[in-house]
Amino acid sequence: MTAAATAQASAAVALADEIPAPRATGNVLLAVDDISLSFGGVQALSHVSFDIREGEIRAIIGPNGAGKSSMLNVINGFYHPNSGTITYKGTARREMRPDQAARSGIARTFQNIALFRGMTTLDNIMTGRNTMMRRNFLWQALYWGPARREEIEHRAKVEEIIDFLEIQAIRKTPVGRLPYGLQKRVELGRALAAEPDLLLLDEPMAGMNTEEKEDMCRFILDVNAQLGTTIALIEHDMSVVMDISDRVVVLDYGVKIADGPPDEVRTDPQVIEAYLGVTHRED
Amino acid sequence: MGTLTPFLLTPFTEIWGSPVFFAEVVLTGLLTGVMYSLVALGFVLIFKASRVFNYAQGIMVLFAALTLVGLMEHGVPVWLAIGLTIVVMVGLAVAVERLMLRHLVNQPDIILFMATIGLAFFLEGFGEMVWGSNVKELNIGIPDNPVEFGGILLSSFDIIAALTGAVMVFGLALFFQKTAIGRALRAVADDHQAALSVGIPLKTIWITVWSVAGVVALVTGIMWGAKSGVQFSLSLIALKALPVLILGGFTSVPGAIIGGLIIGVGEKIAEIYWGPALGGAIENWFAYMLAMVFLLFRPQGLFGERIIERV
Repeated sequence: MTAAATAQASAAVALADEIPAPRATGNVLLAVDDISLSFGGVQALSHVSFDIREGEIRAIIGPNGAGKSSMLNVINGFYHPNSGTITYKGTARREMRPDQAARSGIARTFQNIALFRGMTTLDNIMTGRNTMMRRNFLWQALYWGPARREEIEHRAKVEEIIDFLEIQAIRKTPVGRLPYGLQKRVELGRALAAEPDLLLLDEPMAGMNTEEKEDMCRFILDVNAQLGTTIALIEHDMSVVMDISDRVVVLDYGVKIADGPPDEVRTDPQVIEAYLGVTHRED
Repeated sequence: MGTLTPFLLTPFTEIWGSPVFFAEVVLTGLLTGVMYSLVALGFVLIFKASRVFNYAQGIMVLFAALTLVGLMEHGVPVWLAIGLTIVVMVGLAVAVERLMLRHLVNQPDIILFMATIGLAFFLEGFGEMVWGSNVKELNIGIPDNPVEFGGILLSSFDIIAALTGAVMVFGLALFFQKTAIGRALRAVADDHQAALSVGIPLKTIWITVWSVAGVVALVTGIMWGAKSGVQFSLSLIALKALPVLILGGFTSVPGAIIGGLIIGVGEKIAEIYWGPALGGAIENWFAYMLAMVFLLFRPQGLFGERIIERV
């Protein structure tokens, strides 16, 4: 190990002493076990296992093409793995449909914002309440009686989220017209509207400037602390990941190469190699 | 100058000379226009929810009308026959989702379009196999008497048809703007994947829009079928919806409504006042020409989403 790397490692250890112990002590909310996924000849994920515990912020990192987004897509049902099981809230299964995942409390955002561009901020976030709409089809079709009362209740909840994310001013704006950073925030709002047990964030800070990143970090931490939502996030910005996550899993070419608290992962030679492409091993 | 008189002068002097007759022409045009709007709405609904141009929409009109007439010929009372036909159209929607759409998710739009062409041929053959191919009369008991409003003569059937159409059009517009299902449908129209991620089941939405399109087809079939008999040419009415869609924009419900009215009024006026100068029968092609001129200036239609590509 070079002198610089050693110094960095010892600094990390020193830092670790000051940071409170990771809160990754809750029950396992979701566990993926031995997941493999391939597209034609490309092996996107091979034999990946890890778990997400209640109340933690869990980061999934790795270089481009490492299989991070594929992993998220497997969790929320967009992709069906070739083998392996997903255990969510104690029930094990090979795959689920995206709408089932949504209904069982998994909400997500996308790497390339996937908002309903023609609809207003308010309507976009209201769609997030979709899984909570209980009134039957006929009532909804008539928009009358219980369905109307229900709509008003949902609307109140959505207003809370709008306040929380500080986007009151753009309530009625079609989201297609909003700047990128705000669109990301609306997308987070839509995911929060479902009151999820597990929130999946695919690069929530990609393409943002420093100020926007800080805002987003604050929102993520607030969601976790105030609402108690378990969060799994993919992020490229290493400093952000190390700052906010409790535990980090590192993927490279579809294989898990490290898993643990940020400081442990940061100094892992395999991780350094994957990111920098240089060998740090000493014999 | 003399050759231009029938185009530039005569029509306007005629309009000026007999404003009551002109009002009658406009109103008749509007009444027809509502029916065009209804046909166009069938296309817009499916196009919005699944980005499929449903080539089979016209055949669905014929199929619904054939089923209704067929049932009535077997002695089923009108209202029961209408109810049963609605059940058949919903059944058709479920079958389309199960057997067609579900297997073509994420395929290019052209593949889905081809599939609807196949569906059109199937429905045409199937409908004729079950109900026969001779021209049938459809009489559901709507009176067709001349009605006079302040000197303007209108057909009571046209008025009832237009009212029915208008109620349906506005009911559907409200349904899609105001209800939670409407919001889910607009969400699906915007982004399939995002819609799935918030738990909107695509399949239910598809079945819903195809059912609604089926009911719209039935109403259209009843109204046009009662006018001109239930026969194959009924399916060609859907072609009239094309200029309406170009005018109004493929993705816009209000566009379908306004577009239908413009085409309806436009072609009536053109036929009555400019028809003689051009040798008549321009009603058949006027709408298409109007649509083509329109395409030059507003390719996205009156209310369609503007497509701006950043370079």
